[in-house]
Amino acid sequence: MLTTKTFLRKTKRGNILKIVREHYLRDDIWCGSSLCKNCSLKEKDKVLDKEVISNVSSVFSFPHYLVLDTNVVLHQIDVLEEDVLENVIILQTVLEEVKHRSSPVYRRLKDIIENPNRKFYIFVNEHHKDTYVERKPGETANDRNDRAIRVATSWYATHLSGSQPKAKNKHVSMVLLTDDADNCQKAKAEGLIASTVYDYVKSLQDAPTLLDKLSKKDGVFEGGSKEPLFPLHLSPKEIQDGLKAGKLHQGTFLASRENFLEGSVNVEGFEKFILVQGHAGLNRAVDGDTVALELLPESDWVAPSDIVLEDSEDDPGDILDEEVKMEKEKAKAKKVEREPTGRVVGIIRRKWRQYCGILLPSQDKNSVRHLFVPAERKIPKIRIETRQAEKLKSQRIIVAIDAWPRTSRYPLGHFVRALGNVGDKDTENEVLLLEHDVPHSKFSDQVLSFLPKLPWIITEEDYAKRVDLRGLTICSVDPVGCTDIDDALHCRELENGNYEVGVHIADVSHFIRPGNALDKEAALRATTVYLVDKRIDMVPELLSSNLCSLRGNVERFAFSCIWEITKNAEIVNTKFHKSVICSKAALTYGEAQAKIDDKNLNDDVAKSLRGLNSLAKILKKRRIENGALVLASPEIRFQVDSETHDPIEVVAKKMLETNSMVEEFMLLANISVAEKIFQEFPDCAMLRRHPQPPPSNFDPLIKAGNLQGFEINVESGKQLAESLDLALKPENPYFNTMLRIMATRCMMQAVYFASGMLQKEEFAHYGLACPIYTHFTSPIRRYADIIVHRLLAACIGADSTYADLLDKRKSHSLCHNLNYRNRMAQYAGRASVNLHTHLFFRNRVQDEQGYVLYVRKNALQVLIPKYGLEGTLYLAPPKGQVAKVNFTYNEEEQSQSYGSIKFRVFDPVTVQLSLDRTNVQHEKLMLLLVKPEIPDFSVPSQAAADEAMDVDQVKDTAAPSQPPSKRQRKSK
Amino acid sequence: MELLSDQGLRLDGRRPEELRNIRCKLGVFSQADGSAYLEQGNTKVLATVYGPHQPRGQSRNKAPHDQVFVNCQYSMAVFSTGERKRRPRGDRKSQEMSIHLRQALVAAIRTELYPRSQLDIFVEVLQADGGNYCACVNAATLALVDAGVGMREYAVACSASLANGEVALVDVSHLEESSGGSNLTVATLPVSGQVALMEMSQRFHSDHLPKVLERAIEGCKDIHQILDGAVRKHVEETGRASGWGQVDRAGIAL
Amino acid sequence: MQDIKIRLASERVNHSLTFGEKGAPQLFTPGQTITDNQRVMSGHGTYLDEDNKDVLKASVAGTVERVNQLICVRPIKCRYMGEIGDVVVGRITEVQQKRWKVETNSRLDSVLLISSVNLPGGELRRRSAEDEQMMRKYLQEGDLVSAEVQSVFSDGSLSLHTRSLKYGKLSQGVLVKVPPSLILRRKNHFHNLLCGASVILGNNGLIWIYPTSPEDESGVGGFTQNLEEVIDTEDRERIARLRNCILALAASKLMLFDSSIQYAFEESLSYSIKELLTPETMVDVALHTRHRLQSYKDD
Repeated sequence: MLTTKTFLRKTKRGNILKIVREHYLRDDIWCGSSLCKNCSLKEKDKVLDKEVISNVSSVFSFPHYLVLDTNVVLHQIDVLEEDVLENVIILQTVLEEVKHRSSPVYRRLKDIIENPNRKFYIFVNEHHKDTYVERKPGETANDRNDRAIRVATSWYATHLSGSQPKAKNKHVSMVLLTDDADNCQKAKAEGLIASTVYDYVKSLQDAPTLLDKLSKKDGVFEGGSKEPLFPLHLSPKEIQDGLKAGKLHQGTFLASRENFLEGSVNVEGFEKFILVQGHAGLNRAVDGDTVALELLPESDWVAPSDIVLEDSEDDPGDILDEEVKMEKEKAKAKKVEREPTGRVVGIIRRKWRQYCGILLPSQDKNSVRHLFVPAERKIPKIRIETRQAEKLKSQRIIVAIDAWPRTSRYPLGHFVRALGNVGDKDTENEVLLLEHDVPHSKFSDQVLSFLPKLPWIITEEDYAKRVDLRGLTICSVDPVGCTDIDDALHCRELENGNYEVGVHIADVSHFIRPGNALDKEAALRATTVYLVDKRIDMVPELLSSNLCSLRGNVERFAFSCIWEITKNAEIVNTKFHKSVICSKAALTYGEAQAKIDDKNLNDDVAKSLRGLNSLAKILKKRRIENGALVLASPEIRFQVDSETHDPIEVVAKKMLETNSMVEEFMLLANISVAEKIFQEFPDCAMLRRHPQPPPSNFDPLIKAGNLQGFEINVESGKQLAESLDLALKPENPYFNTMLRIMATRCMMQAVYFASGMLQKEEFAHYGLACPIYTHFTSPIRRYADIIVHRLLAACIGADSTYADLLDKRKSHSLCHNLNYRNRMAQYAGRASVNLHTHLFFRNRVQDEQGYVLYVRKNALQVLIPKYGLEGTLYLAPPKGQVAKVNFTYNEEEQSQSYGSIKFRVFDPVTVQLSLDRTNVQHEKLMLLLVKPEIPDFSVPSQAAADEAMDVDQVKDTAAPSQPPSKRQRKSK
Repeated sequence: MELLSDQGLRLDGRRPEELRNIRCKLGVFSQADGSAYLEQGNTKVLATVYGPHQPRGQSRNKAPHDQVFVNCQYSMAVFSTGERKRRPRGDRKSQEMSIHLRQALVAAIRTELYPRSQLDIFVEVLQADGGNYCACVNAATLALVDAGVGMREYAVACSASLANGEVALVDVSHLEESSGGSNLTVATLPVSGQVALMEMSQRFHSDHLPKVLERAIEGCKDIHQILDGAVRKHVEETGRASGWGQVDRAGIAL
Repeated sequence: MQDIKIRLASERVNHSLTFGEKGAPQLFTPGQTITDNQRVMSGHGTYLDEDNKDVLKASVAGTVERVNQLICVRPIKCRYMGEIGDVVVGRITEVQQKRWKVETNSRLDSVLLISSVNLPGGELRRRSAEDEQMMRKYLQEGDLVSAEVQSVFSDGSLSLHTRSLKYGKLSQGVLVKVPPSLILRRKNHFHNLLCGASVILGNNGLIWIYPTSPEDESGVGGFTQNLEEVIDTEDRERIARLRNCILALAASKLMLFDSSIQYAFEESLSYSIKELLTPETMVDVALHTRHRLQSYKDD
């Protein structure tokens, strides 16, 4: 049975095409119900129950199967995920529409379907000869789909009635759930049982909390102002026309972290970001949305705001009043600083996800409407309805946004679930991981099933396939407390006077075979995430800390890169092998340094280390000459109490010679491997690049340097490195470090890419000053390295390739995910450090030395080297208070002055650090000025205050336990 | 676009091993020595055969002395694709297709029977919806059988492709072709199992080749059955009308 | 006002007449095994399988004919395959040294040697040099001739002769082309039909219809071509009608011989000549013709 589907489509050039497609109708599509006697179902296809519980719902008290309409799936996916709803039929029409409209919802729906306990069945109604519905002339696509859903529902009813007794309470009927009033009406007129989701959920007898999860997409929005607060959004067609005509531009909206009324839009083809300001300018855009933007005429352009503006703490209701402040700023901005400004006229695609945060209970005790404050500052507050406000007000909760109507100041959303108490370390960790989209669930059984069975032994066959390097004096050098040892080195003198140096990397790709569940999970996670107190592993511990880890005095598989190097660190030749090694010692940086320095030690390990060290020094010098950058970021480590796991002390990380030694050889290995895999696989090699930053990125650095009298030349990496080396102030040794910290902030992100997607010139790594680079040396904690291992193994013939490895496009999308996950992991790590810093300061008030990093209109950004953190020292008081001391802001000079005191960039200050816990969700570090003293503004020093306070801060200082440490070598 | 849904159905509702609807008719032209019209799904192809006859014009020099000279011409009608497109006769693509067509048919025709003669095969694609080459080969085979040209066996062609990197699909339509997967086209002599032509549009990993090839050859066998049935039907109809060429003494058809 | 007849393709008339009396003999299609008996010989339309020399396979689609050990498969339709003694109608394509090339709807062009024709001036004249130059005067490119197959060359091409007065250049008349398999092999291929026209049924599928000349048949042969003679309207109509009848019979795949054409002519008298071109009429005429043939057979 065959019909044709004919429809017309318009091509890009404007021609009308008639598309004719075949559409086969089948008679072998079954209904999926266990009680059906007519269909020849196999066991695994019998999804829907025979015995359906009959009094689940008070209104529909007969046993029934549910059929869902598209809008129900799209908008009420949270309700569907609850276990209460079972025996549901998802029609192919609905499934395809959902896939087309929203892929996250589609994925969640598929997850539900795959869970056999939920008993969701996909019925292919489009290809079933009885339920296929052809579009009538004049019928819209939506109407046709609705009709198809109704036809399918009634088919099911008649189909199943043939196999069942007629009695009402034993008879399984069909109930259609739809939020479309029109559809509901028509269904009832046709004799089907139909209901809206709200009515159905309300009638469920044992799920009272389910009502909260209902999304308010089409529901009536109580409250809100009578007049629309925001301008109208343009319709999609108007947006398309505007884009085509060039009047509108498409870009991603990025909210400003500091000013909630400001944001910028990143439009392709424009070098600078376009500024948007004000409620009307932002027009309900949320961070991450793809928006349609209209450029304002140049006379209306403004400068980016210098103030730090936050949304008020209380619920202001649905009025907008911050505009006034912004207006004043606009007038003052000078013409040259103005940036292209625009306003958002429409939203092309929303990028809403689930947000963690806390509830701001409303003043009115009986009200159901509350405000939810997200943890992420860039997201506006969300209005939700919940009846559990009392229980939830001390908890971290997750909320999803549904809609943002014109009449509401805030977007509307619904409650999804609760996480735990606010401020609780575990809950906060959980929030951190969720907000950064880090997969942190336990490894599933399926994944664990692909691990090798213990006891693991190396067989004769294994030895035969690998080079035997067990006799070499190999040792590994890692931070204290490291259990996942990725790499080991050796060095020995050859007869001809040259050295043989080897870098041996854990052979992870031997254990993780392509395509299985373990591989897919690792590819999803992409990297190990290092939090201060926890480590979220990319691969299960059996591999990361045991079988792959190159522990001392155990035989392990490795992938070796062996060079013959002259005494002057020039490579003579390079070889790659899969090998078996036996590391002689697993040293820490400190131990290795001690061995090198101790003149009395002359064993093989010490000689090997000395050889490596001297070669490393030459390599480093050469790299610097080539223009490699040496940058800095404030790196600190927490000492954590073993019992309470609270941070006790903050210690800066020290850099020893041995750090640099290992780093140099890892870089060399990465470069050698990059060259080899690119040679063999020019199309699909996975490499890493660091693009040169555009000159505008360096402006703040150059300006800051100039103000101090130093010229910073940013034309090339080498010149930048030299300029930084020359910018020294003998009286302020930290000045150079601060300059380097500023330079680090100007850099772009280094990213992974597939070699076939870019030109060779774009492969360069700016920071390391090498033309080609990849990641090879840490496969235990980075997925990219596993891919590189597989490619290299194919090069040397030790392993075979597989289809996806060679597919340039698959590699490209894999890189996309890896880059995203890496970024998120970095942010999560930083957020974890932040969290612990706040935990540390919970009960402390301390004075610390700091330096001014940036001067803003109403505040100073101060960097505190000891803790490696930045804080804001407000110069103007918060809203509502009168300033006792008025600072004068000089924009040209980037300074703030009061009387004889002047604050400029790089100036030293002493500040008092304490934790401001008034905002439960965003504990802030409060900085108050101590020195230079300004009456009525600065506070007395802590030393003076301590005498006056009771000393009750003595805690048991147990031996500091070692947290799982972060790799000291930065991800370059 | 998903070529194969989780329920095992393709975009148009077929299962991976199912062919499209094939309809064919022989002897549609009375002027030509042999002709056939074939529809494979929405792909419609017309084939005509002239010959074997005396080579005329320039072909006189080309006719080998021990074999027949096979002259194939493939062309697509202007209206055959979604957008009307002017196709000059003899452009690159047509020439390439003609050469491939010739390769497949020469493997099947008993060329030694007609030395110094010329055989013209003209194929016109009236509607292109994927699998053009396969439909052309099949139609040309039918036209040759209609013309009474001696052949070793039928030359049958079929295409196959790979979905989701795992499942092989037979008889790809235009929508599936353009969704980015690679397509394998195979022309075989089904009874003896010999392969006359094999062509791939893109690369895929060699691990997948055996199953895709097997699917395509299975498809060829199925198509062979359908074509054979059509030929028998046609021969029966025409033969019956003329009494199988046997007449009694009165000259009346038996 | 002329009537223009337009018809949808889907409303095509099916010309095949259904019989349903006798079952079909066994059909073979290319590639099908006929037998694996070693002792058979392969004739036309069959071949021995390369891999297994015992197996005999068909190479065309048709019915099988068995003559002792020789097995042939006759296809329904194929190009003309000449045999000695066949009468053919052909067209001159080339004039070469000492011979003409004649196109006879077969695999290769046939050959008419100068020694095989009757030259004016009686037979047995020596073929002098002038004769060769004068070849063009007798037969030019484009002329139609009727001839008989004298012999078959090794490569399959035919050698014709016109050594009888009934063969020679054809003058005024109408040529009809039909599939060769529809022409019955008979003793006589020159017929003067009762309807008042004459017809030459060439074995190669070319049929020549011409007005019966009042003189005896000897005037047909030779190389004289009387193109000035005006054929009157009645004759023309008869010839036109005959042509249409032959086409009708050929469309319905009926065998062509003098009786069938004669009956067809008689049956067609109920229609006008133009009407005979419409498919329904053609089927009708064919049906009636067959009916008559059937009834005569039964008598």
